Amino acid sequence: MMRQQRQSDVVIVGSGASGAVAAARLAAAGVEVVCLEQGDWTGPADYLSDRPEAELAWVERWNPDPNIRRGPADYPLTGEPDVSPVMYNGVGGGLVQWAAMWQPLLASDFRVRTLDGVADDWPIGWSDLAEPYVQVARDMSVSGLGGDPALPELDTYPNPPIPIGKIGMAAARGMDRLGWHWWPGANAIASRRHGSLQACQRRGTCMVGCPENAKATPSLTHWPSALAAGARLVSGARVAQVPLDERGRARGVVYLDRDGNEHLQQAQVVILAANAVGTARLLLLSESPRFPDGLANSSGLVGRRLMQHPYRTVTAVCEDSLDSWQGPWGQSIYSLEFAETHPDRDFVRGAKWMVMPHGGPMFAVAEYQEAHRHEGFDAVWGPAFHRAAAEVFGHAFTWGIQAEDLPEDDNRVVLDPEVCDSSGLPAARVEYRVSENTRRMLDFNVARAVEAAEAAGAVSTLVRGVWPTGIGHVLGTTRMGDDPRHSVVDRWCRAHDVANLYVIDGGVFVTGGSANPTATIMANALRVADRLIGARASQVVPS
Amino acid sequence: MSDSGPTSAQRLTLAGLADILVAEGLGMPAASAVGVADRLLDRCLDAAPALAGPLMALLDEAPADGLAAFARRLAASRPDDFAVLSTTVVGAYYLSADVRELIGYPGQQPSPMSVAAEPEYVEMLERVYDRHPGYRECP
Repeated sequence: MMRQQRQSDVVIVGSGASGAVAAARLAAAGVEVVCLEQGDWTGPADYLSDRPEAELAWVERWNPDPNIRRGPADYPLTGEPDVSPVMYNGVGGGLVQWAAMWQPLLASDFRVRTLDGVADDWPIGWSDLAEPYVQVARDMSVSGLGGDPALPELDTYPNPPIPIGKIGMAAARGMDRLGWHWWPGANAIASRRHGSLQACQRRGTCMVGCPENAKATPSLTHWPSALAAGARLVSGARVAQVPLDERGRARGVVYLDRDGNEHLQQAQVVILAANAVGTARLLLLSESPRFPDGLANSSGLVGRRLMQHPYRTVTAVCEDSLDSWQGPWGQSIYSLEFAETHPDRDFVRGAKWMVMPHGGPMFAVAEYQEAHRHEGFDAVWGPAFHRAAAEVFGHAFTWGIQAEDLPEDDNRVVLDPEVCDSSGLPAARVEYRVSENTRRMLDFNVARAVEAAEAAGAVSTLVRGVWPTGIGHVLGTTRMGDDPRHSVVDRWCRAHDVANLYVIDGGVFVTGGSANPTATIMANALRVADRLIGARASQVVPS
Repeated sequence: MSDSGPTSAQRLTLAGLADILVAEGLGMPAASAVGVADRLLDRCLDAAPALAGPLMALLDEAPADGLAAFARRLAASRPDDFAVLSTTVVGAYYLSADVRELIGYPGQQPSPMSVAAEPEYVEMLERVYDRHPGYRECP
């Protein structure tokens, strides 16, 4: 029997980057908010990050791939995509495991159709996010340096940049010699005590959990204030459906608790913030006679246009000691030298680069072995095993290169016809191919990154192909737009088809840019939350 | 790790396989010499318990008189199984304090920083600013 929960003003599905922002903002304005999160709370007591076993945390418990991690809250991702999405299901969502790189989109990212004749323009522009960018950077205690000429002017970040370290200096000297753009990285990691965060201790274990609470994650930055303002967060709540009333409005959501009991959480407004895979899956699960192809899917675009920022790396191996295990594992420096379209290149749009350490010896050896595996067993195992540590460990930095993959209808999330999660709900099947434009873009950028490594004094480079697992950037499956025939939500992220249904995660991105998306996801969620608050204040009821 | 951890026989097999993967060389000890099949194995499986079952199955399968060929066969044709073996061996090896000292690795230790001093990259950054054409204007 379904248990009826008391109606709230708003129910939010997902407690990560966008859900936490909306919950905190709405609750502070007096809106009654219930947030449903299928995972649980985590914190330093759950991490191995301050133990010698820190690198082994990646093997299983803190592996970013839910198919490997197989936590109780994870749902299977099936299919054989070129790039498999990664995510974390728990309070804070992907921001539990993220590297905390903070990067606003380029101004041009909102106008790629107008400027480059590809994909579509966003219905909003950079100026619509300018103020929210500043606010969320403050809330997330971002450390960085303003004034990057490649970006429109922003207010300075609330904390000075984290020192770029020996790896950043080596990489920057290379870029300086070539005359290429670089800038100290902005990270949602506190360079000094700020807000709810402690000062970073540079352990370099950011992606398996920060034991110092120096990395911003919603359980530190947003949920304490949201809960204090009256928001209610229900963990262990797996949402199965968004049911409609007779007028075609969302009644709320149906969810399953840890014991499999079914609940109906009624709400006047439903906000989906479950990431571009989870939200698309939920909409497809919510089919009905009115929406036989999935809720809010009259455009046929729910689940389509999945973008993931296909990723390659070039590791520069240097003679000098670079203390390359030292963190943080955010971005030491970044480059936007090749982020824009250039008429002399055989691809459109571009890629962002960022310098990172290589972590501990397990990771350094893995990087070496990946690059030399084709030489055979004896090149990387046996007596030769130690070459990896001798040559690479402590002497390398990595240029990570993330490509702007353009939206394509056939890159999509669908429901798996056979595989289900632990609640019996169909798994998300991912169909994703790296396009020829993206491959050319990555080949070009890798070649330039090798030049940059050599200019930095590298004695050798380790070049990897497209990573088969993603970097946690899932975008585009519920795109925003003004035309209901060609978009799922409008410019305020309200579903064209359902008047009281909103989507605020990365699914609404029209294009992905090459920037790490969290800053934009959070800024957009804040923009939408403020719109809802404004509408409530003026008692404008969506028709 | 479960109570039913690797047996003595399985540990012996692992020691043999581990030394094929991580042999003595370049001034570094072989895997078994630092305890990869002993106490370090237990720590590794405590941190990543899902490795235990597949690892023990592999160790039971490995022929005592053909460990080298077995390791190569796994590497060539059973990548998932080889990943279980190699992750265990490499993960346990680098837990060794002696190995860490030999490669100069202090561990992922706290390293407090100062953000008060002027960064040494300021002049380079000024050149970035001076030469950059500015961001692409949009309609």
